[in-house]
Amino acid sequence: MTDHDGRLSRLGEWAEARALTALAVLTSAALVVAFYYPTATVLIEAVVVDGAVTLGAFAEVLTDPFYFGELARLLSGESPVAVARALLSPDRRLGIVGFTAYQAVLSTVASVALGLPAAYLLARFEFPGRRTLRSLTIVPFVLPSIMVAVGFVATFGENGTLNTALTTLGLPRVELMFTLEAVVIAHAFYNAPLVARVTTAAWESVDASAVETARSLGAGPVRAFVDVVAPQVYPAVLTGAALTFVFTFGTFPIVLALGGFELVTVEVLVYRLVRDLSYAEAAVLAIIELAVSLGVLLAYLRYEARQSTGARGARPLPRRPLSPPAATLRELLPRAGLAAYGVVAGVVFLAPIASMVLASVTGGDGAITLDHYRFLVERQQTGAAFQVRPWPAIRNSLAFATGATLLALPMGVVVAVLTTRRYRGRTLVDAAAMAPLAVSGIIVGLGLLRGLVFGVEIGGWRIAASGAAAIVVAHAVSGYPFVVRTVSPGLAGLDRSLVESARALGASRARVIRDVEIPLVWPAVVAGAAFAFAVSIGEFTSTVVLATGADAYTMPVAIERFIGRRLGPATAMGVVLLVVTGVSFVVIERLGGDHRGL
Amino acid sequence: MGSEPKSESAPDPPVAVELDGVTKRYGETAAVDDVRLRVREGEFFTLVGPSGCGQTTTLRLIAGFEEPTSGTVRFGDESVAGVPPEDRDVGVVFQSYALFPHMTVGENVAYGLNFADPPDGVTRDERVAELLELVDLPDAADRDPESLSGGQQQRIAMARALAPGPDVLLLDEPMSALDARLRERLRAQVKRIQSELSITTIYVTHDQEEALAVSDRVAVMNDGTPEQVAPPRTVYREPATRFVAEFVGDNNVFAGRVVESLGEGELAVDVDDGDETLRVAPGGGGDAGEGAPATNSPEVGDRIAFCVRPEHLRVASAGGAGGGETAAPVGENTLRATVASAEFLGETTRVTLDWGDRELLVRTVDPLDGAVAVGFDPSDGHVIDAEQR
Repeated sequence: MTDHDGRLSRLGEWAEARALTALAVLTSAALVVAFYYPTATVLIEAVVVDGAVTLGAFAEVLTDPFYFGELARLLSGESPVAVARALLSPDRRLGIVGFTAYQAVLSTVASVALGLPAAYLLARFEFPGRRTLRSLTIVPFVLPSIMVAVGFVATFGENGTLNTALTTLGLPRVELMFTLEAVVIAHAFYNAPLVARVTTAAWESVDASAVETARSLGAGPVRAFVDVVAPQVYPAVLTGAALTFVFTFGTFPIVLALGGFELVTVEVLVYRLVRDLSYAEAAVLAIIELAVSLGVLLAYLRYEARQSTGARGARPLPRRPLSPPAATLRELLPRAGLAAYGVVAGVVFLAPIASMVLASVTGGDGAITLDHYRFLVERQQTGAAFQVRPWPAIRNSLAFATGATLLALPMGVVVAVLTTRRYRGRTLVDAAAMAPLAVSGIIVGLGLLRGLVFGVEIGGWRIAASGAAAIVVAHAVSGYPFVVRTVSPGLAGLDRSLVESARALGASRARVIRDVEIPLVWPAVVAGAAFAFAVSIGEFTSTVVLATGADAYTMPVAIERFIGRRLGPATAMGVVLLVVTGVSFVVIERLGGDHRGL
Repeated sequence: MGSEPKSESAPDPPVAVELDGVTKRYGETAAVDDVRLRVREGEFFTLVGPSGCGQTTTLRLIAGFEEPTSGTVRFGDESVAGVPPEDRDVGVVFQSYALFPHMTVGENVAYGLNFADPPDGVTRDERVAELLELVDLPDAADRDPESLSGGQQQRIAMARALAPGPDVLLLDEPMSALDARLRERLRAQVKRIQSELSITTIYVTHDQEEALAVSDRVAVMNDGTPEQVAPPRTVYREPATRFVAEFVGDNNVFAGRVVESLGEGELAVDVDDGDETLRVAPGGGGDAGEGAPATNSPEVGDRIAFCVRPEHLRVASAGGAGGGETAAPVGENTLRATVASAEFLGETTRVTLDWGDRELLVRTVDPLDGAVAVGFDPSDGHVIDAEQR
């Protein structure tokens, strides 16, 4: 080896030894630029008015019944008794924040009610297609929310499939559009599978030996379930419920599309305030929203920390066949319940998608037609510059999603590596890295718009990014936590001695990540990429803020533009979005190679 | 539950658990195949065999976690078909211990007392304290099971299983997750507790040494069937089959054809491997226990297999590099072999010898090397089976 080579290889070693640090610094910088700084610039307006720090704006919002309903009177000093009486009266006012919490609670209850039977089915029964069904529970979570909204309009709308079906059967029509029910069902569509997933996982990790021990000690089947299975499963149900509450408290596209003018949640109001340029008020509301979400998450995390249920099932509970082995009440009753559940689940989960597809090929007269797709093609050919045309929307969606995935993947993997190692302050790093999940997308979008897009002046240099670039960054920020969440469990589950063996053989820490850890968790990385891609394709909230120019709108934004005026083209566009999302998933899986499912 | 000390000469106690032609099939394969066993009251009975030979399934059939495909399990003389586990009065300790993670140690031990009053009219708390005392963990009641070491968890699982005063204690590989030293200590403790309570105990293990150390009787399982059921000494000295001979302890098995009867039960056998004629005296054989196939005394022309334990092989250095005929006398049946490898075990050395195309195992005190002479007394050879091989 020549002297020159020696120097080069030493330089290589030096770089390799610091690669992890460098990546961590880059990731932090990206987070600061793309998330913390923009968010801070917006939130600061809540407390800084004309250069002076004040809590006046907060006080105004907190004591305004428009926001807090009867509770505002309590906050402005009225007697609690009077307020309590008012709250119990039938014409109580909840205010916007109160209503947001109320619909979130209802949505949580509905999601748990719909999710638990699915968990029971998936954890305790064996049937063909069980694994596929289990994998499918992830699908609603990554479906573009605006598309789901279109599906719900197509199902529950005035001329939706539900009313068509009711009319055919000679039953009275129902009016579900722009009602709380529609919103709650749509939220359950999203979150019930989440509840089912976490609950199934916990249920499957219950050690069959523990149940058998309880049985051998004298407990009957029901008692053993109550004493042994339930205590190990219900923390997972609470996890699902807490996450559902947080997600539905910050809901936006669903309420925007299904709530009409009557139903307004905090996030929708923030959006309207931003449109009216009332930034300070919007910032106050966003902070309150963030506080409620974080409060619930923190309370939950504290609870979770006290629960020390080690989830290492030595031997999972055996699954029963779905077809009853004997015609006894004990065997038939649960299966009959599941059959009834299957019907409800079909209406909630399958009808919206099926209705959307159906509506996209149904004309005003009820006949099958391709008119809506023809409309999209015509619009593409003859649309005016200010009109939304389909092809740029598709192209932008794909380009943004590709860019966002390429950014989100390294960020997510680095954060996953950093948060699965043990050191002081790890929880803090974890929380800081996961914050984008809890902060309103409107605020992130607004911050990026006014920071990056309008330009920042640093030392005489004016730095400005295009709206498109800002969208890619915003999507990467909202997508990378999903990469972290898929990759972390795999990394945490890796045998430490694998890493140590590699290090003992002379590999640097960064080298071990490349040579050992990433290859072993590769399926999770691919899944993370698919997630990031899907999140970006479906992202609506920050996109709608940032996509100001005609050049930056995406498919979800296009659907939203159509949905108000023309349901037909909106459903056609929805189908296009569904196909593009589906194909992307398959392509990513193929490119990623062997993918063992989530 | 009685507590009178067992005496060797007393008539056999009544049968506590009986398996009568029990078979358990999973699809095509029979995990347990026509098992007939009788476990007597107060007995420490061990099911031993390589992992996956049906011992655990047998235990689960007794506990009531599985129902047999055919055959009958009886407790005393009553069939327990269809009786759920909670009504069988058994205590079970699993390999994973299965302590309830969401309960304290005390709550774990007390759990079975929700369904049965503590024996001897003591209160719940007294019973829990009594059992924690029994397993030498008197101060553990308020602890979290996960804060305990593996060995402590195992003892708590044992206390929990015993708390309601079960008729039968079932132990499924309760020590296989522990290190060797701890295993030895704990198995002594399990044995002590078992004889103190003189509780009928059925123990599943794949560790033949453990089985020999603790049991009153051992059933050596192979492919879902017990090949021999007998006290540990019998199983070791008079293995009923080739499988038992090779599974329990080290052994040297020879197969060949009887060429001559030498009188007084002694036979001359032409051994298949190596061009040798060896002499073996099967002797009376004695009671090889239940399950042992009846061995008729072999005659000239029969094919037989016999085994000689390593400690019964005498070995001496064959001396000089020239390989002259200077071997020290090693008794009859002298074989010439060379040392292949040696494992120093402390008290003895386990030496593997190359003898022709096959290996022989011997135990020696002095170090050995190079060419050796090996011999054994005809009476140390034990005929396994005349039909074998």
